[in-house]
Amino acid sequence: MKPELENNTTDPVKTKKTFIEWFSYKWSNDPLFSILIALIIMVILQTLTLGFDYDSVGEWFGAWMNNWINILRNNAGIGIIALGMTLVIMTGGIDLAVGSTLVITGAFTMYLLDTGSGGILAAVGVTGVPAIILTVILVMAFGYLLGSLIGVTVTKGKVPPFIATLGAMMIFRSVTQHFAQGYNTTVPMEFLQISSLKIGNLMIMPIIYWAIIAVILYYVSKRTTFGRQIIAVGSNERAAKLSGVNVNKVKLRVYALMGLLVSIAAIIQVSRIGSMDFSNAGRGMEMDAIAAAVVGGTNMLGGRGYILGTVYGMLIIAVMNNLLNLFGVPPFLRDAFKGVIVIVAVLLQRKEKSA
Amino acid sequence: MRIEMKNIRKSFGSNDVIKDVSFSVEGGEICALLGENGAGKSTLMNILGGVYQTDAGSILVNGQQVDFEKPSDSMEAGIAFIHQELNLINDLPIYENMFLGREIKTKRGSLDLKQMYQQTADMFERMNIDLDPGKMVRDLDASYKQIVEICRAMMTNASIIIMDEPTTSLTDSEIVRVFNMMETMKEHNVGIIFISHKLKEVLQICNKYLVLRDGNLVAEGNVSDVTTKDLASYMVGYDVRTESLRREKNMEEEDKEEVLRVEGLTDKHHFRDISFSVKAGEIVGVTGLLGDGRSELFQAIFGADPFSSGKIYLNGKEVNIGSTYQAIKEGIAYLPRNRKENGILKDMNIFENASIVTWPMFSKRGVINTAKHKQKFKEHRGTLRLKMGELTDSITSLSGGNQQKVVLSKWLAANPRLLILDNPTQGVDVGAKEDIYDIIIKLAEENIAIVVLSSEAHEIIRVCDRALVMYHGVIQGEVRDDRMNEQEIMRLATGGDFGLERREHQYET
Repeated sequence: MKPELENNTTDPVKTKKTFIEWFSYKWSNDPLFSILIALIIMVILQTLTLGFDYDSVGEWFGAWMNNWINILRNNAGIGIIALGMTLVIMTGGIDLAVGSTLVITGAFTMYLLDTGSGGILAAVGVTGVPAIILTVILVMAFGYLLGSLIGVTVTKGKVPPFIATLGAMMIFRSVTQHFAQGYNTTVPMEFLQISSLKIGNLMIMPIIYWAIIAVILYYVSKRTTFGRQIIAVGSNERAAKLSGVNVNKVKLRVYALMGLLVSIAAIIQVSRIGSMDFSNAGRGMEMDAIAAAVVGGTNMLGGRGYILGTVYGMLIIAVMNNLLNLFGVPPFLRDAFKGVIVIVAVLLQRKEKSA
Repeated sequence: MRIEMKNIRKSFGSNDVIKDVSFSVEGGEICALLGENGAGKSTLMNILGGVYQTDAGSILVNGQQVDFEKPSDSMEAGIAFIHQELNLINDLPIYENMFLGREIKTKRGSLDLKQMYQQTADMFERMNIDLDPGKMVRDLDASYKQIVEICRAMMTNASIIIMDEPTTSLTDSEIVRVFNMMETMKEHNVGIIFISHKLKEVLQICNKYLVLRDGNLVAEGNVSDVTTKDLASYMVGYDVRTESLRREKNMEEEDKEEVLRVEGLTDKHHFRDISFSVKAGEIVGVTGLLGDGRSELFQAIFGADPFSSGKIYLNGKEVNIGSTYQAIKEGIAYLPRNRKENGILKDMNIFENASIVTWPMFSKRGVINTAKHKQKFKEHRGTLRLKMGELTDSITSLSGGNQQKVVLSKWLAANPRLLILDNPTQGVDVGAKEDIYDIIIKLAEENIAIVVLSSEAHEIIRVCDRALVMYHGVIQGEVRDDRMNEQEIMRLATGGDFGLERREHQYET
């Protein structure tokens, strides 16, 4: 039996307290607090490594900022996907198909845009800015559709999400590789502006997209019917159904949203590099996205997850990669560190749950 | 064997849960441990079971002081704790479940299934149980699962068995089966500590009783000296009402409009050809034994599960309800049975659990109107006499009765025309039970049509105007006024006169 909380008159939030009390309260009650602390420690480490020097602060700050913009920009795509993954896992599901969805939507983007003979839009006479706008809309619709297909398989077909998305993962990549064999495209320069447009003189468009999506999804998960129903479904599907939640609709929309977010990541990636390697792009991406969500406090069994936590999780992994780079750790060893981070994060979170 | 707990104290933080409790239990006794939720029963038993350590006082086994640091210490001393949630593995046969964690192995290291089967069969024979040890646990009904768990405890040579509310999820005939088992154990000189909310059962099966209230032992003695009324007042600390709450028949039946009418509702497995109607302001009970199909019937009416044929009318209009959301829009509310599995969302806080139904209703372009929900919840909180801390506290911080009130409040917020309550007082203490009855009657006075599903006949008699009795998926009969008594309900629930004989036969086995 649990002690009754009603009689507990010392509410730590309201009484004035020392820093240590505040810290230990936050540590054991705010699930995101330990994650944030971990992130701050890593950033401090990274800052020290970059050679902080009081005499040349300006110069140091420039290098520091540059490094950060690089980190954020490189992780924007996967960061966006991790946000969607968080919502999927919160319903008690999983999406293994994100990497393959990335290549199939990426290939679709390139086919639409190609200024050469294979270009679909060019063939019907749409070029220039209208072609780019139309491409963005069509690719996002395509991603949404693919996600919906997975969603229908999971809900109507009652196929477990692991199996449905495992199947989709194989199908999407294989189909892309077959049809896009030896395909070389020229993506119009204007399209590259989507990612490389400079604000001031900083190339931060992907970071802005990531931030906007994170803010929207944060709001959706906290304040909207859809967002709260996601948690309800993941926490107790039967109870949610018996409370009038349309469980199938919620799940379908979550997978569709995942597809949409992946297509946005695909647009960002194609517009950054100008091309995509269909056999390697996005490989292992599902695991990175899951890792970010888990480090950010998402429960793999559903019912608990934090958009903000996933952002922290993504940053922790990104900063760690950056540190390993700065320390000159051999590339093959880097995944081992990632693995350690994931496991340590879950160990830390379990402590809170039992407290 | 004799165990004694002396001057036990336990507190969690500043909350004293057990304040100086002493008692003893011997082999061959069945001792009831009574108390409202939060009275300290589970804590006390968890100390005896080695889950918690006592802050002060001592535990004596046959006069020897012992120290239980972990559950296995207690088990070695011969104490077995059978929890409300059974620890059985559905996908293994009975005999393998009996030996979970202490499997018998052959010399070559593989499982000696034959030996395990044989020992289980021997145990069943000793306990007079007619059950095939090779059956899968999944295929057993709740009472046999309970029995298997008891036998498992017996096999570890337990001489004191703690049973935590073993009968909550059982129907009357299954309870009889478990009680027979308990009688047999008594003959084998096993002592039982029986935690229950059902006072009638206590009078029927126990010889001694202990009553805890707010961590104090407030009463103990022989069961033969007390009535259920006495016990109930010990538990709550004041006299509880035991008279029928059925209201004076003041409503002009012709005047009231019909809210729900069901014609010939049938599904493939659970119920067939069901027809009845419920009027506004009426409280209709639906009862029966396990397998009667009442829950499935009303879950189908609520749109949670499909049915194959038949018609449902709401306010005289035929409706086609395909989902729970649609049912809610039509003004139907359904408080499910088994609160833990169907009612509460343990990852969400009290406020969210109380507002989930109305999220889509009180929202603008998908954004939930929190202020409106808070206001609604404030309105209902008083009526429900809800005892709770902060709105943002976890739902699991509440006692069973208060959790149920939160689940009820989410439905009140939706303003239903028809409220279906499936086992509304399951696992709820006496005080909260009365509160829930009060709310049901108050809602009926507000002209809401109410259906109460319950396996407890006295509950139906207590609150309902009339009752439908189901038997194997059909409505066996309707009782009202003088005919609404436990004997008549039991006669119909067991399938008429024939069924009555069958029930008696079961009692003998």
